[in-house]
Amino acid sequence: MAKIFCVANQKGGVGKTTTTVNLAAGLSKIGQRVLMIDLDPQGNATMGSGVDKRALAYTVYDVLWGNATLEEAKVHSDASGYDVLGANRELAGAEVELVSVDNRENRLKDAIAVVANNYDFVLIDCPPSLNMLTLNGLCAAHGVIVPMQCEYFALEGLSDLVNTIKQVHGNLNKDLELIGLLRVMFDPRITLQQQVSDQIKSHFGEKVFNAVIPRNVRLAEAPSYGLPGVVFDPAAKGSLAFIEFAHEMVQRMGSKR
Amino acid sequence: MDPSHTITATLTLPGWLNSGQDHWQTRWEQLHGAQRVQQDNWEQPLRGDWLSALEEHMLFAADHAARNTTNGAPTRFAIAAHSLGCHLLAAWAAHSKHAHWVVAALLVAPPDLSQTDTTPAVARWHPPEVAALPFKAVVWGSDNDTYASWDSTQAIAAQWGASTVCMAQGGHINADTGLGDWPQGWQSLQALMA
Repeated sequence: MAKIFCVANQKGGVGKTTTTVNLAAGLSKIGQRVLMIDLDPQGNATMGSGVDKRALAYTVYDVLWGNATLEEAKVHSDASGYDVLGANRELAGAEVELVSVDNRENRLKDAIAVVANNYDFVLIDCPPSLNMLTLNGLCAAHGVIVPMQCEYFALEGLSDLVNTIKQVHGNLNKDLELIGLLRVMFDPRITLQQQVSDQIKSHFGEKVFNAVIPRNVRLAEAPSYGLPGVVFDPAAKGSLAFIEFAHEMVQRMGSKR
Repeated sequence: MDPSHTITATLTLPGWLNSGQDHWQTRWEQLHGAQRVQQDNWEQPLRGDWLSALEEHMLFAADHAARNTTNGAPTRFAIAAHSLGCHLLAAWAAHSKHAHWVVAALLVAPPDLSQTDTTPAVARWHPPEVAALPFKAVVWGSDNDTYASWDSTQAIAAQWGASTVCMAQGGHINADTGLGDWPQGWQSLQALMA
């Protein structure tokens, strides 16, 4: 049975999509069966996995709306090594349409349940806001991975996300928990980043992953080639850090494979 | 609510490939100040994307109007939809929590999405939303529209709870029909709001 995680942060531009696709690729590289679900209408995680969002027969929109099963809608990215349930601009319509349907926050959960035995990990890339799509991700997941930069305002917004997780845990999904904070785009030469990193560690303790993703040009370049950095340049420091993170996730979650 | 205290904005919803300079929708924008709901991609009408654009346009227009009126009068919308824009409005009205903002709709030449030769770009809109519209509406069709028989136009109008008008030899009731400013259409929409 797959472990299902949302990658979420209510701030944009913090490396959320980079984390999702590189963790997916890293887990795949170390032998895990992975499904990546793009819940952001921008479709960046889809494109960053080597899947053209404009050429998809079905997207996560069709799955949420019941036009297609997840099995029908997912595609395999040969380049990246994992399955992708993609998204494009059409997904924005779900915000309008889901308002009027029953059981609206559990549409994704129900769709994943059918294929959960086919995977070890399901990673969901959430949009950077709390909306019906994010809520579907949180209701489907066992936990939330929060990528964050070690910058002055990093903790701002985090309390909102933690409160959201608590509310969803209390009202909609008893399984949901904060799995951990992942420090990304980290530059140890910058004193402030070290200070913020220490602050995060002292505040969240064991909830902070040991793996730290360094600021890395190769990771930044990879999306323009339609690949996760882990695939684009496996030897880059950033890629190696994501492989380390993948191992840490397997260890923490106790995957048997 | 007293309708005299409301502001009514007219929105145009073009269909697939947008409406050109000689289309009655474009002329109404110039003549009557109607606003077009712009789509990001007119060639590839993704249903969810178009729905989202309509919702966002209404939210923006309602917010803009509220900021620019002294009495805080709520905005109401009259809609003039053409072709696929008719199905867009029906789909939006079936789901949006703001559907009550619309007071009247003129739905012109809705295509029959079940036609086997429907263009692939539009085919994914099938099946159409057929729930009764929560506002007054009139459907205009014609007896020689390539994209819908008059029978199919009447059938979907009945499901939407709209009255019908048949324009003899009106084709797809677009620029090719040569309607100019199409005052009859404008009057038809105004009559719904009377």
